[in-house]
Amino acid sequence: MRLRHAALIGCVSAVYVFLLLPTAIVILTSVNAAEYLSFPPIGFSLRWYRAFFAARQFTEAFWFSIWLGIAASFFAALVGTPAAIFYVRFLRTAREQFRFAVLSPLLLPEVLTAIALLFFFNQVFGGTQSVLPLLIGHVVITLPFVFLTVTSALYNMPPSIEEAARTLGAGTWRTFLRVTLPLIRSGVITGALLAFIMSFVNVNISLLLKSVGTTTLPIQLFDYLRYDFDPTAAAASTVSVALTMSLLVVIDRIYGLRAVRF
Amino acid sequence: MNGKSTDFPLRRWLLAMPALALVTLFIAAPYLTIVVMSVRSPSNVQIYGPGFTLHNYLRIVSDRLYLGLLTDTLLYAAVTAAICLVLAYPTALHLARTKSRLRGLLYAAVLSPLLTGVVIRCFGWIVLLATQGLVNDGLRLVGLGPIAFLYRPVGVIIALVHVFLPFMILPIMNAIEAIDPRLDEAARTLGASQATVFRRVIVPLSMPGVQSGVILVFVLAASAYVIPMLVGGGRVPTMATVIVQQLLGGFLWPFGAALALVLSAAVVLVLVGFIMLIRHTMRRLA
Repeated sequence: MRLRHAALIGCVSAVYVFLLLPTAIVILTSVNAAEYLSFPPIGFSLRWYRAFFAARQFTEAFWFSIWLGIAASFFAALVGTPAAIFYVRFLRTAREQFRFAVLSPLLLPEVLTAIALLFFFNQVFGGTQSVLPLLIGHVVITLPFVFLTVTSALYNMPPSIEEAARTLGAGTWRTFLRVTLPLIRSGVITGALLAFIMSFVNVNISLLLKSVGTTTLPIQLFDYLRYDFDPTAAAASTVSVALTMSLLVVIDRIYGLRAVRF
Repeated sequence: MNGKSTDFPLRRWLLAMPALALVTLFIAAPYLTIVVMSVRSPSNVQIYGPGFTLHNYLRIVSDRLYLGLLTDTLLYAAVTAAICLVLAYPTALHLARTKSRLRGLLYAAVLSPLLTGVVIRCFGWIVLLATQGLVNDGLRLVGLGPIAFLYRPVGVIIALVHVFLPFMILPIMNAIEAIDPRLDEAARTLGASQATVFRRVIVPLSMPGVQSGVILVFVLAASAYVIPMLVGGGRVPTMATVIVQQLLGGFLWPFGAALALVLSAAVVLVLVGFIMLIRHTMRRLA
């Protein structure tokens, strides 16, 4: 029995190594002094970070991704939060259908959604010249994450608190602003942070909907890695990983990792 | 119903309106556009020609090339889902039942790859699987010559398994967590060995999680674009890479749309078969 337990621990440890190794290798490569992607590293150097911050194609893509992520998560939170409140507090019929509709961007294959949006914007809005189609695509894709987190925040909050506020004379709107919103605030922020991360690392939507001349960090990396393998890409990747992982720590602190569901 | 409650529901629906409008306008309508696009006639000068035709579909089902591509894609996805299941089950079982203080950290380790971005993880595999990479160095140590992983299906499948493994672990973990530990105890008290408890209690009750995990991974792997492009270097064509190539490179939109729908239909067919198989097995277990 003890032997079987040891075997399980062994298998499980191997799976964790498998899960984490590729990211660890990228981070190691970014501080490797060698000219080319090589392993084992020959020495510690920050030269590839200097190269990253000096490369305009990377820094511009980085800031554009940040901007896009902030805008997308803002709108996703603005649209997703009331939908979650409606679903948890008011909707009585067709609940499964409503949930499926709001979560559909997460359930449908992302490439297919990207293709659908590409066709749609070309037919209806005359192409993807502006940044708007890209932003809309990112809002649609990140909406389910806000919905899932705010829904779980609402389930954790007893509706009797709202009833108490209303009994004490507060109107619907006032109850929402002064009671519901403060209590689900950490849920909304967590949902928005997750939405930001999912927008920040998105490839499929960005690839098909970006307008000429704008590019996001993952797309820049994707294009770069198809032809070049120098460690500047590793530095860019590490910056991206550092950003998303610090946001994950923030999410853990304000809400707990349990909020992160797919 | 009194007068007050008739206008209240309407105002409540306003809460859901933005989300419903977003999903209708930017999910439902665009998916409809794919269907319409797939029956438009191809054109050399425009995105599509006048009139409607089934020619795009006929071209796919009559061409060995595209049928081969479809079976390859489904095969990679099935192999990926199978390997993911084998790797995920013990991990999910451990994560669901462990009382270790490291539990939070282990959960983060399963979750964090999902938030790292697929490009970066493919990049990691490119470095690892290169001829001079860590994996081949290790293989050389034990006397196995360098194996060409990159630009081959084997490398693509390794990366597919890695990228989608959390989508298998998480649902199975949730299903096992939902099993009341008292059921194990009851079975043990009634004389079942640990192996029997596992086979007769844990496995059947975790089946819903296995089913969701397999469906998720299969769909994701069958529609993966970035992984075959980067780890396969464009030399491991799949339906997704060919479709995007038709759209961005060739501007053959009607044909690309038809390919996308054929892939979707094939994926749905395979999954319906899989679900029926699971139901059948479950009934025999019960």
